[in-house]
Amino acid sequence: MVLRRLLGPNGLTHHLPSLDHHHPPHNMVLKIYGVSWSTCTRRVALIAKEKNVPYELVELDLAKGDNKTPAYLAKQPFAETPYIDDDGFVLFESRAIGRYIATKWAAQGTPLIPTDVKALALFEQAASIELTSFDGYAVRYAVEKIFNPQKGIATNEDRAAEYLKTIENKLDVYDQILGKQKYLAGDELSLADLFHLPGGYILVKLGKDVFDPRPNVSRWWNEISSRHSWQAVKESA
Amino acid sequence: MSLKLHGFPLSTCTRRVAVVAKEKNVPYELVVVDLLKGEQKSAAFLAKQPFGQVPYIDDEGFELFESRAISRYIATKWADQGTPLIPADLKAQSLFEQAASIEQNDFDIFASGYCAEKVFNPRKGIPTNEERAAWLLKTLEAKLDVYDQILGKQKYLAGNVRPLTSFAYHILIMAVCARRLQEITLADLFHLPYGALLIQLGQDLFSPRPNVSRLVAAQMLSSGLIVDWIVSNFKVVE
Repeated sequence: MVLRRLLGPNGLTHHLPSLDHHHPPHNMVLKIYGVSWSTCTRRVALIAKEKNVPYELVELDLAKGDNKTPAYLAKQPFAETPYIDDDGFVLFESRAIGRYIATKWAAQGTPLIPTDVKALALFEQAASIELTSFDGYAVRYAVEKIFNPQKGIATNEDRAAEYLKTIENKLDVYDQILGKQKYLAGDELSLADLFHLPGGYILVKLGKDVFDPRPNVSRWWNEISSRHSWQAVKESA
Repeated sequence: MSLKLHGFPLSTCTRRVAVVAKEKNVPYELVVVDLLKGEQKSAAFLAKQPFGQVPYIDDEGFELFESRAISRYIATKWADQGTPLIPADLKAQSLFEQAASIEQNDFDIFASGYCAEKVFNPRKGIPTNEERAAWLLKTLEAKLDVYDQILGKQKYLAGNVRPLTSFAYHILIMAVCARRLQEITLADLFHLPYGALLIQLGQDLFSPRPNVSRLVAAQMLSSGLIVDWIVSNFKVVE
């Protein structure tokens, strides 16, 4: 096998075994096709940073309809952002991409997915909680308060209040869980914790710091939101 | 029986776990949590599942909740029996994760929201918000139009070709012929409970979309022969 040296934009070098020495050298930097300020794009960038994986962000202009062209839809048929192109392997859905990065580069950066069957199951429980009990409501709240008005649709204040109340009830349960363990999946940081950051940050920016009043949640939120990886991408991927 | 499933027979999430257990030939004992009597809000239940929701499992003392996490645990712990439901190869597994994410973000949110408006809310004395129900249905239909495109090119939601893990074997296969392995995964099965409920509510969104309709899940829903169909029809497509 021929060892090929990679130079990422940070000047990091990675040695990878060549899969086929007849192919010409590829540009091996992970490409993220997304929107630098969007939650989902930043979710992917966050994981890449946490795993020390260099990436190139290809910025899409949604106002110009970059996500609706036939070429784009061929990669992401739901017309959503982001998707990645990792040396020809195309993948969308930010959490699937996060899992791919955490798995492919498992040996570098922070470990983010456990391998033991039970620890893995508890991670999957936490990852499911993030989606079913947090992100859905945080995003819907942001839609009512920010994205709808941007599109000329008036905020439904009743519904927004309902979403906020649901988040608060769920975070009361988080507070119990995080009183017994350091992170959502156990005592080790995982993808499940990091996945909360983009949605949670929107709430904080909207003046709804739902974490602060709950001591264990507050401790957890402060820890994960002060990580270098999040600080690097929290405003822009 | 090692696996105890604490849930409610009519609950979608409980049935999601049951389908996967059956698919993997894993016997389980259903311990009924009486939702109609509010048992899920009792202190004893909340000590096991702090969100007050069904189901949770107890596998010889190991407790777990969230139906998709439980499903993944069953599919992983008993990987060697029943139908393989999570691919091992990195790229195939990532395409499975993409499909599992699609199921939650593009199907479950709208399907469960619609069912909540039409079924679960009225049961709790909350009237149906017809405008909201209509919007949820319309959004779900638009998503299923995209499913139909995807499923026009591949048999299941997670894909077509399974990249082979061994490099040498890969070369051999490429040299001999294009071999296509088309595999059902958890991502397809996760759709079943709300899909079935939608059909019961008279919203058969699957039949009008030829490729979606062809999807194993939709065929099983209309025939009612869920488990038998999977077991007898899962095969390698050459």
